[in-house]
Amino acid sequence: MDRRNFVIGSAAVAAFAAVRARAADDYPNRAITMISPFPPGGVSDTITRPLDAALEKVFKQPVVLENKTGAAGAVGAQYVAAAKPDGYTLLTHIVSISGFAAVDRLFGRTPKFTNDSFVPIARIVADPIVMIVNKDLPYRSLKELVDDAKAHPNKLIYSSSGLYGASHIPTALFAKAAGNLQMRHLPTNGGGPAVTAVLGGNVNFFMSPTSIALSHIRAGKVRPLAVSSAQRIKSLPDVPTFRESGYDLEYYFWVGIFAPKGTPEPIIKILREGIRQAAHSREFLDTLANLGQDLAYMDQPEFAAFWAVDAKRQEDAINAIGRVQG
Amino acid sequence: MDTTLHSLYLGFSVALQPANAWYAFLGCLVGTLVGVLPGIGPLAGISILLPVTFGLNATQAIIMLAGIYYGSQYGGSTTSILMRIPGEASSVMTCVDGYAMAQRGRAGAALCIAAVGSWIGGTFGVLVLTMVAPPLATIAIKFGPPEYTALLVLGLIFLAYMSSTSLIRTLLMACLGLLLGMIGIDNMTGDFRYSFNLAELGDGIGIVPVAVGLFGLGEILSTPSVSAVKDVIAPRLRELLPTRQEWREAALPIGRGTALGFIIGIIPGSAHVISSFLSYALEKRVSRHPERFGKGAVAGVAGPETANNAASTGAFVPLLALGIPTSPITAVLIGALMIHGVQVGPTLVNEHPDVFWGFVASMYVGNVMLLALNLPLVGLFVTVLRIPYAYLYPMIIMFCIVGVYEVNNSIVDVWIMLIMGVLGYALRKFDFDPAPLVLGLVISPILEQSLRQSLIMSNGNYLIFVSRPIALGLLAVSATLLALAGLSFVLKQRDWRARLAAAEAGEAER
Repeated sequence: MDRRNFVIGSAAVAAFAAVRARAADDYPNRAITMISPFPPGGVSDTITRPLDAALEKVFKQPVVLENKTGAAGAVGAQYVAAAKPDGYTLLTHIVSISGFAAVDRLFGRTPKFTNDSFVPIARIVADPIVMIVNKDLPYRSLKELVDDAKAHPNKLIYSSSGLYGASHIPTALFAKAAGNLQMRHLPTNGGGPAVTAVLGGNVNFFMSPTSIALSHIRAGKVRPLAVSSAQRIKSLPDVPTFRESGYDLEYYFWVGIFAPKGTPEPIIKILREGIRQAAHSREFLDTLANLGQDLAYMDQPEFAAFWAVDAKRQEDAINAIGRVQG
Repeated sequence: MDTTLHSLYLGFSVALQPANAWYAFLGCLVGTLVGVLPGIGPLAGISILLPVTFGLNATQAIIMLAGIYYGSQYGGSTTSILMRIPGEASSVMTCVDGYAMAQRGRAGAALCIAAVGSWIGGTFGVLVLTMVAPPLATIAIKFGPPEYTALLVLGLIFLAYMSSTSLIRTLLMACLGLLLGMIGIDNMTGDFRYSFNLAELGDGIGIVPVAVGLFGLGEILSTPSVSAVKDVIAPRLRELLPTRQEWREAALPIGRGTALGFIIGIIPGSAHVISSFLSYALEKRVSRHPERFGKGAVAGVAGPETANNAASTGAFVPLLALGIPTSPITAVLIGALMIHGVQVGPTLVNEHPDVFWGFVASMYVGNVMLLALNLPLVGLFVTVLRIPYAYLYPMIIMFCIVGVYEVNNSIVDVWIMLIMGVLGYALRKFDFDPAPLVLGLVISPILEQSLRQSLIMSNGNYLIFVSRPIALGLLAVSATLLALAGLSFVLKQRDWRARLAAAEAGEAER
């Protein structure tokens, strides 16, 4: 190596180091990639795309949503867990993010990531679950359904968006709360097919994210029996909560934004502020209203506390379901 | 009927407004490009353009996004015919006879027939959609797991007609496909199967990487081993158009493909993928010259291409009438409408007649635009074949790799495609047909899931398949087909397949 190359090389390294040291000051100075671990059309996707559009205006940098799908959201999460923690790769995920490690342990596999692999940044929405039955079924109240399930074990069938997924878990929690109901489970490939199974009369009930079920409820094709929020919700004022009906269940289908563990604190701070602004922007709020969702924003400290409780609930439910015998 | 006409009038008055027609054109143009470029599927195309529509009104947004969807079905045949690369699962069958036609110098004719067939399939689909969408949709959701199982059994029975090789070879390939389809998470128990600790294999092996590898890459890999340098197939202008004879051969398959595709399309779920496979098998079954299939039969292009377009239109029936997404793509469309404040559901027609009928009318307009867009492009596309293989093939390989990566942003998919390319080369050398393998891969996960779902519904009682009328009907058709085959075997009637096997044996002796 001659001297000139050495000098140039050292200068380049020094310049690079300088850039890295300044990284937090002018963050973000290039495009941010937001990984969505679900295919387009899912709840996380429809929420995050408009959020990213609003975030672009705040940061004056492109925010690109990239779908890295597979294994019910595990592939995308694993990708972000292993990504460089520089604030340029973020993750949008749903309530089910807390379940993967528990499922892996259930099957004796080493989890590739746990909740500790991520830094929570903000919760955006939290959609309560609504239990729907086909309009032709006789159940007028949750109690009638529970009584029938108790009188005839293994008679009722429920659909879900997938095994150990975001609608299977609340159903398991409900079955436990109602006194270990014995029911049959029909897993499908997503929220859409699970609703279709109710509409077509192939299953008895489905515990659906409210935003998915709302149009079918309004059209009178399905009957809502209970919602899983703490209070009754605006869009369905006549539907009682599970607690009102006497079953201890509170559950939300939430969407949150995460960064990989190790992302520098100054960058997290900028992200928190940026996402707070984007989430409260007029355009994003309008979009949410059209989607039938309310902003359920939580900043990092509050979200972290909520997530800890929620994750415990998930793990308990998964362990209660246990390994399914095929 | 009067009200329908009146509604359509309202629809056309919306769809023909210059701004709306412009967005329909834009959607169709993007759709055609998305269809031609391997890799960027309609799903990615629509999702990427979704934020662009935020500034438009709901009608314009749905007109444009739907244009991308059905437009991409037109373009999908192009790479299949010219380069033997299926851009998506529904154009796999076009790779067989479409490419064979191109080899015979009839690429232009194949492209024209595909475009016209797509147009007829699409337009007819919209016509039926206009008249009977709500009642049809109500029947369609009765299509539960047992009916699905029966439909797929019928699909498997048709397998015998899928390929141009002997029955044993066909079944061997189909079994391989069914086995490959078992890879991934067991949906009912959550166990990983044959995943080698790769999370990417959890969802199983994708159809696109396998199809692109087996057909596209396999073809390219096998080219250098053919000693004779083929002439570059560059047809003269007047050869671009199908002959009178070719039109005649295409007419009936287009008609049958339309009906078959539409019926399969309205079923919620992923069944529409198999519409082109079923159409191909049906054409071969009814053809008087089944031996021509695989060697450039016009019917083998016309039927499947029409069927997949009719199916993509049929998929709008449950979407518009019930608000049920039948596929990821229609799910994105529902999301798009919701973002624009339009609740999709059974009440859509009454609450937003301008959106509903404007959208329906725009599909008539859009299909005409697509035909006008695609026919002149035939000449342009065919000139691609003038590029010498030494330059064309490396480019195709690049397209294959980039395209397959783009589908899921997955490097594992690229490896699967490369491995399948080598397998495709080997299969070609040993004269196996890869089409049944792809069908097996398509059917296997859906069949397994619907079979096991049915048994959950019935608590393990197999009688569920014969106690539901639609399922019973489908199974009866399957049984009849099997019985007919058995009968001809008993009567020692040597059909074309036996003759083919004999011919193969004869060749082997020589």
